[in-house]
Amino acid sequence: MRPDRTDLIFSALADPTRRQVIRALSEQGPATATGLAANLPVTRQAVTKHLSALANAGLVTSSRRGREKLYQISPRPLTDAVSWMAALGARWDDRLAALRDHVATPKRRR
Amino acid sequence: MATVEREITIEAPPAEVWPAVTHSDRVSEWFGAQVELDPRPGGHGVFRWSDGTERRAVVEQVEPEHKLSFRWLPFQRTAEGDLEPIPSTRVEITLDEIPEGTRVRVVEQPAFAPGMTTIHTRAVAGGALTPRRTARPRASGPVLAAIDA
Repeated sequence: MRPDRTDLIFSALADPTRRQVIRALSEQGPATATGLAANLPVTRQAVTKHLSALANAGLVTSSRRGREKLYQISPRPLTDAVSWMAALGARWDDRLAALRDHVATPKRRR
Repeated sequence: MATVEREITIEAPPAEVWPAVTHSDRVSEWFGAQVELDPRPGGHGVFRWSDGTERRAVVEQVEPEHKLSFRWLPFQRTAEGDLEPIPSTRVEITLDEIPEGTRVRVVEQPAFAPGMTTIHTRAVAGGALTPRRTARPRASGPVLAAIDA
């Protein structure tokens, strides 16, 4: 995954309402902004704004449905973001183990 | 959300672990990169990997023998000298004294300094952001759980 995309994804997901939108889309399937707003404590305008941030990060895609857009989740970037985090976690596991060995090495004890 | 959290126990008191996480020559021995670190708030860190990649960081908090935090700059320099955007994250390393020695805890999470994402977005505009076409949405439940964790 492109690192620039990871950053976009994480900033898009930093907002709790946007995470609710993602969750709603993953549970209900494709929906319009109006349909999503009906089940969320925010206005349709706010939902539209959040959807546009999510689309910008590649997390949702849209298609025309009459006068409204139908949004659906795009699972791949989410999976990529989770893989990126797993890789980062593994890197820290390695570093922390190396730190422990380093501190335990007698020549380092002063 | 979107937080990486790791910890390890080291059989040495924080006073012994602290120099290993703040002195450049010591950090260079375990971090996986050559490190030049100025461990003061606002101090700079330069991290050079053996493949030629270079990343920089700015130190935020320093509490001797307890806490070091820094923010990665949102770009890295490749071996070819190109600047490429990377996720902006903040790293916090905490040392806590426990009976066995020291518990070292690392938290790395996205950092959203005002304006940072905007600059970032502009830097990558021009094709990189085109949404990709995907198959049907499904199986995002566990993924969401991981992100919410």
